[in-house]
Amino acid sequence: MNSKKWIIRFFTVADYEEEEIWLREKHKNGWKLVKTFPPCFYVFESCTPEDVVYRLDYKNNTESSDYFQMFADYGWECFNRYLGWLYFRKPVSETDTEQDAEIFSDDVSRIDMADHIVKTRLLPLVIIFFCCVLPNFIICINESDPFADFLTIVFAVLFFLYLYLIFHCGSKLRRLREKYSKRS
Amino acid sequence: MDNKIRRIYVPMTESGFYILYCLQQPQHGYGIGQQVKQMTGGELVISAGTMYGTLSKMEKDGLIVFVREEEKRKLYQITSLGTEILNLEIHRIERLYKNSRGENVNE
Repeated sequence: MNSKKWIIRFFTVADYEEEEIWLREKHKNGWKLVKTFPPCFYVFESCTPEDVVYRLDYKNNTESSDYFQMFADYGWECFNRYLGWLYFRKPVSETDTEQDAEIFSDDVSRIDMADHIVKTRLLPLVIIFFCCVLPNFIICINESDPFADFLTIVFAVLFFLYLYLIFHCGSKLRRLREKYSKRS
Repeated sequence: MDNKIRRIYVPMTESGFYILYCLQQPQHGYGIGQQVKQMTGGELVISAGTMYGTLSKMEKDGLIVFVREEEKRKLYQITSLGTEILNLEIHRIERLYKNSRGENVNE
């Protein structure tokens, strides 16, 4: 029976490249990812240390039935789905070329994925921030009963969390996009 | 032809061109990838995500159409709109080729 461990690690929707590297390192150290749970739980299982490439694709649950067969044909194991993300892996020993270890062969596809994340993840965050978090935060600040004080703290936390996420993800996705468009 | 479609696909990426070219016969994504590898001596590799994304986009834009499913793989084929785009591209590439060799294009 392989031993399991839970790890808490927070990756935003813009950190997928770092997550791929992190998972590859884990596998090299004898821990392979089994499953992820929101918002930041990773379940690993002990395994033989091996160099395995990890790739994340964002489809936001729009993938059709043949999607998985296509990736399987290309030698990718899809082992996890998580909030619109699909997790793939392939041992380096099974790749002939550098491109065999990629799920995208041109930067146009990488830009498309970044744009898809902006439209379906970042934009809703911005809308919730301006339509819900910000107005409620302002209302709570102006109230003076104890319950409002409690809500002020809640909305203050949300306010800074959203602000951080929007700026972090926004600027990072823009940088990724620039990196991809410069290369192509 | 829709000007928007023309703007998106002319010129198109090398991967896009080969995918459309191969779909003059019904074929599935992985099959196209193998065929393109062979045609280019292994130099042009189209990865799974790029293949899936390009096929979805081309199907949505009406350049190709789903014909049937074989063992969970979707087979596509080029449409008349796709053929029109493909011919525009072939014409453009021919001109590019001739010019690159210093030949007269207007002959």
